[in-house]
Amino acid sequence: MAALVEIEELRKQFGNVRALDGVSFSVDAGEWIAIMGPSGSGKTTLINILGGLDTPTSGRAIVDGTDLARLDEAGLTRFRAEKVGFIFQQFHLVPYLTALENVMLAQYFHSTTDEGQARAELERVGLGDRVDHLPGQLSGGEQQRVAVARALINQPKLILADEPTGNLDEANEQTVLRLLQELHAEGHTILMVTHAPEIGALANRRIDLHHGRLVPAPVSV
Amino acid sequence: MFGRLLWKLLRSNLGRLAVALVGVTSGATVISALLTLQFDVERKLTQEFRALGANVLISPGRSGQAFTPSQAPSGTSPALMDEGRVLAEIDKSRTPAVTAAPFLYIIARAADRPVVVAGTWLDHMRLLDPTWKIEGHWISSRDDETACLIGRNVARQFAFTPGQELDLDYLGRQAHFRVAGIIDAGGAEDNQVFANLLLIQKLASLSGQIEIVQMSIHGPKKTLDRSVAQLTAALPGYEVRPIRAVTQAEGRLLDRTRLLIMLMVVLILMLTALCVLATMAALAMERRKDVGLMKALGGSISRIVALFLAEVGTLGAAGGLIGCLMGIGLARWMGERVFGASINPRWDVFPLTIALMIGVALAGALPLRLLGKVKPAVILRGE
Repeated sequence: MAALVEIEELRKQFGNVRALDGVSFSVDAGEWIAIMGPSGSGKTTLINILGGLDTPTSGRAIVDGTDLARLDEAGLTRFRAEKVGFIFQQFHLVPYLTALENVMLAQYFHSTTDEGQARAELERVGLGDRVDHLPGQLSGGEQQRVAVARALINQPKLILADEPTGNLDEANEQTVLRLLQELHAEGHTILMVTHAPEIGALANRRIDLHHGRLVPAPVSV
Repeated sequence: MFGRLLWKLLRSNLGRLAVALVGVTSGATVISALLTLQFDVERKLTQEFRALGANVLISPGRSGQAFTPSQAPSGTSPALMDEGRVLAEIDKSRTPAVTAAPFLYIIARAADRPVVVAGTWLDHMRLLDPTWKIEGHWISSRDDETACLIGRNVARQFAFTPGQELDLDYLGRQAHFRVAGIIDAGGAEDNQVFANLLLIQKLASLSGQIEIVQMSIHGPKKTLDRSVAQLTAALPGYEVRPIRAVTQAEGRLLDRTRLLIMLMVVLILMLTALCVLATMAALAMERRKDVGLMKALGGSISRIVALFLAEVGTLGAAGGLIGCLMGIGLARWMGERVFGASINPRWDVFPLTIALMIGVALAGALPLRLLGKVKPAVILRGE
């Protein structure tokens, strides 16, 4: 299978701190990868670079044939809109927009909005009856499901999930994990940062980071 | 979606935007009132000046008929004009004259003492010089040959009161009047008697002859100059002369008033921009998180800033519109206080004020430029 993500000798330096130090790996389309490691190991930095939110100091990060290091600000913005869907630990929904509008916001920045499609996506994550609720009126699990719907609405090549269940209780965690499993089963490529080994065990492959370096012991599940 | 997002943005920051709206509305209120005054001030000031009396005189100049002692032995003006011709030309020239009144002066005798008598259109006396005060009443009919008005010095000299009878003698011809009112003009008119023009012409045997025409012409200086030029062309040989002291003072005052108003408008625009600037600086800080998220979702900075600029533009338009409506009331109040007359709303001030307010609001939105520097990764990390 062709590699959707290719990373070669990726380095990221914040002042004197090396967040990533020569990381190389590749991800095939349709894979579910769990990125694990202790706090400060560079997991989120890696996800941010792959999502075009940050740029590497050196090395190459290629997603769906696009070398992210070669993109300017506008190119990265377009890349984010077209190629990736983000699911954040903190949900990051716009508080004054309804669930439906939060999903449509991603459509708006991608191309044109389609309210019917946005409703369908929310129904898919079990929020068909909550479309007009503001984030503040939704539980944590429901907010994260809105974020999942938002991440999927533009049918991205790559889903980047940064501790997607980190702020959820167990019941909501199971709901979101079930959603991710469904997405994987449908063929989506998922890179997920997690601390929890039992969640990481759901992925096809595990990548461990320590002090910005890859620990070469990926575990096949 | 743009409209939907704009509406939500406006609703989500009602408190802070309300502060900016109050600032923009206040600025727009004063500016629209000042602009209304600015457009109307010329008309109002001209009216005020017209209250000071005539601003144009038509006199015989070189072509006037020379008097001979046989025609006017006890003294009239040295030269006369043809009443019919002059008034016909004034009518033809369509000069926007508020009032034009012909005058013929004679020196008659009353109780054996000389007195200056002006034959004129008595119904135009009050219109020609609205500042004159009267004891008694004005004469409303131009054809009234029985009543006269007398200056206050004449009244004092002859101990006249309104309602009394006045007998005039001119070269042995008599005229009899009832004193309708006593004029207090504060000038030479206080020493004169004003009577029906036709009667005085008959008394002086100068039928159809007048000495001067006093005109009070509405409008700015250029209108006055145009009217003077038209009449000069139409009445060759006669002298059509603006009264310089009045017209020049009017021009100077108009220029200064305009300058004052424009300076105030600029000052208020600057203050309004500062008010919006302060609000927008705070809003820009508050919205860093929203902008970071929008950027992370693939929103281009131009699209995001357009959204916020539309919000600010809406603020300016709303403040401008409300301010214009409030400005009507303020302009009316200022008109009453300053000019003693209401100022009519000027609808052309609306688009101008609203455009100014949108411009000022957008200028005040300068801090939104900072949003372009927001790094989504930094914001999403919660920094």
